[in-house]
Amino acid sequence: MKRRDFVRAAAVGVAGIRGAGDSGIRIAPSRRSTWLLVPMDETQGDHLKAYGVTFRVLERGSKAEWFLNYRNGSFLLPADTTTQRDAAVAGVSATLLDDGQAAEIRAELAQGNMDAVPLEKAPKVAVYAPPNAAPWDDAVTMALQYAGIAFDKVWDPEVIGDRLRTYDWLHLHHEDFTGQYSKFYLTYAGAPWLQEMVDRNQRTARQLGFANVPAEKKAVARTISAFVERGGFLFAMCTATETLDLALASDGVDIAASFADGTPMDVAAADKMKWDRALAFQNARLELSPSMAVYSEIDGHQVNSPDRRQPLGAFTLFNFSAKIDPVPTMLVQNHRQVIPDFYGLTTSFNKTALKPGVTVLADEPGAPWAKYIHGERGQGTWTFLGGHDPEDPQHQVGDAPTDLSTHPHSPGYRLILNNVLFPAAKKKELKT
Amino acid sequence: MIRVGIFALVALGVATAASAQDATTRALELERRGDYAGAASAWRTHLAARPDDLSALMGLERALTPLGRLAEMIAPMQAAVQHDPSPGVLGVAIRVWTAARQPDSARVAVERWAALEPASEMPYQEWGLSAYSARDRTSAKAAYVLGRQKLGRPDAMAAELGQLAAAEGDYAGAAREWSLALRKVPGYRGAALGILGQVPPAGRSALLRELGKDGDLAGDRLAAALLIRWGEPLAGAKRITAALTAAGNGGVDALQEVLDDLRTSSTAEHYAARAMVLELMGDRAQGPQRARIRLEAAQAYADAGDQTAARRLLATLAGDPAATPSMAASATSTLVSVLVDEGGVEEADRRFRELAPILGAEDRQRLALRLALGWIRTGRLAQADSLLVADSSVDAQAVRGRIALYRGDLALARTMLTEAGPFTGDRPAATERISILGLLQVIEEDSLPALGDALYRLERRDSAGAATALMQLAPTLAPDHGGSELLLMAGRVHAGTGHNAEAERLYRTVVEQGVPASAAAAEFALAGLLLKTARKELAIAALEHLLVTWPTSAVVPQARRLLDVARGAVPAT
Repeated sequence: MKRRDFVRAAAVGVAGIRGAGDSGIRIAPSRRSTWLLVPMDETQGDHLKAYGVTFRVLERGSKAEWFLNYRNGSFLLPADTTTQRDAAVAGVSATLLDDGQAAEIRAELAQGNMDAVPLEKAPKVAVYAPPNAAPWDDAVTMALQYAGIAFDKVWDPEVIGDRLRTYDWLHLHHEDFTGQYSKFYLTYAGAPWLQEMVDRNQRTARQLGFANVPAEKKAVARTISAFVERGGFLFAMCTATETLDLALASDGVDIAASFADGTPMDVAAADKMKWDRALAFQNARLELSPSMAVYSEIDGHQVNSPDRRQPLGAFTLFNFSAKIDPVPTMLVQNHRQVIPDFYGLTTSFNKTALKPGVTVLADEPGAPWAKYIHGERGQGTWTFLGGHDPEDPQHQVGDAPTDLSTHPHSPGYRLILNNVLFPAAKKKELKT
Repeated sequence: MIRVGIFALVALGVATAASAQDATTRALELERRGDYAGAASAWRTHLAARPDDLSALMGLERALTPLGRLAEMIAPMQAAVQHDPSPGVLGVAIRVWTAARQPDSARVAVERWAALEPASEMPYQEWGLSAYSARDRTSAKAAYVLGRQKLGRPDAMAAELGQLAAAEGDYAGAAREWSLALRKVPGYRGAALGILGQVPPAGRSALLRELGKDGDLAGDRLAAALLIRWGEPLAGAKRITAALTAAGNGGVDALQEVLDDLRTSSTAEHYAARAMVLELMGDRAQGPQRARIRLEAAQAYADAGDQTAARRLLATLAGDPAATPSMAASATSTLVSVLVDEGGVEEADRRFRELAPILGAEDRQRLALRLALGWIRTGRLAQADSLLVADSSVDAQAVRGRIALYRGDLALARTMLTEAGPFTGDRPAATERISILGLLQVIEEDSLPALGDALYRLERRDSAGAATALMQLAPTLAPDHGGSELLLMAGRVHAGTGHNAEAERLYRTVVEQGVPASAAAAEFALAGLLLKTARKELAIAALEHLLVTWPTSAVVPQARRLLDVARGAVPAT
């Protein structure tokens, strides 16, 4: 095929791109298609890659819109050749629209619990992960790589060195900010990966001038909190949620076991916690046993405590008013309202431990815990999602990696990607 | 008055028991909730009233351990020992004194317990285990050695000492201790394998040398099991067969144990090891059982690819009077398969014709198919066809369709391969058949001997000749009537034989010709080749081109998946 033929094919014959509506009728040549509607309902060919296509539109300096609650959170993109080609290569379903058809949809948005949120600028994304982190053991890293969203990895030296100022969005996954190596120290004693983790953390703490790993991680947690205060967007999953808050609230309090810092945990630590410094949680009792991979009663499921472990159920996303509460509305856009739950070192958040003012985005009806929560701190926001991997509910150390090409419609992973695009909407005046 | 007094005493007794039960329940609940400080307090309150309650004493021990306050156990433990110096309480005392690093006091408790139960290993085991848990291996070893001396039994606490030796890297010592332990209690085998199986490669030769020394069969059995576990099944089989040959005619249970271990995998090496062990078992068996085991051994040799050994065993079976008619038939059947695999098709055919009258229909069809494939490989298409002409099964149709294809009779091939359907045979054969049918549909000729010749060369592993024949034939057909498909096939043959440059040239030609199905498949193959030769960016460009240019092609899902792998967006599996 000649190059000009290829370019022509890219412009008009792309996969999954249809004319107006779902009829597959192509638009007449006299009507100019200026928009590409990416539906996010059941007709979408690859929900996760749709976020990547939208993100890359923003990266190229173009604008997009997020149609909240319209066909489960569709995107309106410019119908330029590059975007159409990108959608075709990614297998993302899209429909060509002219200006009149786009106006009709806007009129429909105005009538119901829907809204159009402009997306203006691709956020600069950082993922907090140690240099030797396994590439397929972090749901956000996997989602970003699958969707094709560019990101940098940062770790303690970059955080302490104030590099977070150069990013808009930061993700934390299963880091233990209490500095206790996920409390795997006794269970996996002798495992080479744990030894490597301990050595690396201790070396880094020394290099950065801290007496021990728990002290260093507390400093990292404070820097992350300051990043949010300044206007950053923080998204955390799994045990990073709980331990970040424990590290923030335990300033001056020894909550680490002796294997981590040489001294046993202060048994009266719970009474000395400064919960006002935490982002989401308060007044939680702490786990005193160094051999139990549990930190506190914040986690509702307690997966590593045989006596206290709760079975997995399903969580339900809340509905919000798109026009009044666009931020939580963005965070819950999905083609499924009820999503099977998944374990993590921290799986869920006991509602009794939530601070007043925290917005619950999803919970398990009838259960005392929330799954997905959101809040503000200073100029910025944070969002916590419990659990480790939405498509590996029983995740164990050493499990085979999740292959997202077999889960292109994962509703759990969509929640992660909602968070990545949400900062792009920041410039619109938000009511929440 | 007396009756009232009795009622009062009974009521008081019931109330006290209920109160104790409540206290225990409350303490356990506090423990379950992780409130260890609260639980310790509850247990302590309970012990103040009942200092000899062993379960409460152990509850207090459990609660104080995570708090790092085990030293607080000393007073209640001493009180309990004073009230009731039973083995259970003395066990707590040993653990508490060991945790408090007071070995003299621990030893006193051990001696008190040993005085109560002079023949028991338990006091020393408790002491050693407590020290081991506190990472004090020296004290643990001293406790076990003391126990062995006091008990006067050289195999006392062998498993414990074996575990310690392995932890200290003394693999020869570990081998000696575990051999002792296994001789005493064969049920320790699982534990021995679990611990010694983790010995690093550098320490294995020392361990294996020590096991089985002085003709100790238990040690050799353990060594064989370890070798199998470490991925050396043949070495494991040789180890046990050598040990048993020296030991005489016994040891069938040892052979059975090795056979069970070998069932975990199906590699050629595992089959060879199984065959070796089965042959030895056969030598030790009598009558029909001997014939059955030898037949099984011959089949295992054949599965391992050792046709010579398989034939040697099958020959002995042929003259074995103990073999039943069905065993003899099975043996001959196996021999026919072995001969076909070896290329001795003439002899296989002769034996098959002798055997055919006594074979069941299913076995006869299976062997005839195998034999037909053997004739096809040797170039005797007519012989192959004659074997199957009376067989109307779909498997036979599939093979006869291939024979017609190699003869260039495309019309008959099309009919028979279609009748064979998409599910006959194993997956690779079914896939190949569907792709051949696809080729025949676009060619639309009824007879094309040159194509049959090219494909028959491929069947007979003449890849270079097949590729040349396909490339010569392709220009004689229009690209959209098989020309592109034949070039694509030639490209795949070249790629399969490592001629990447020629394969790439042919793939690019097919892409340029632009026949949709062939071009998309060629571009997908090209991308795979580019990735294989470390040209990732070019591969990504080819895949993107494919996805945009032929969005409805059948290879699109695979192409999208390969693109994800090339970009590092998903794990390569």
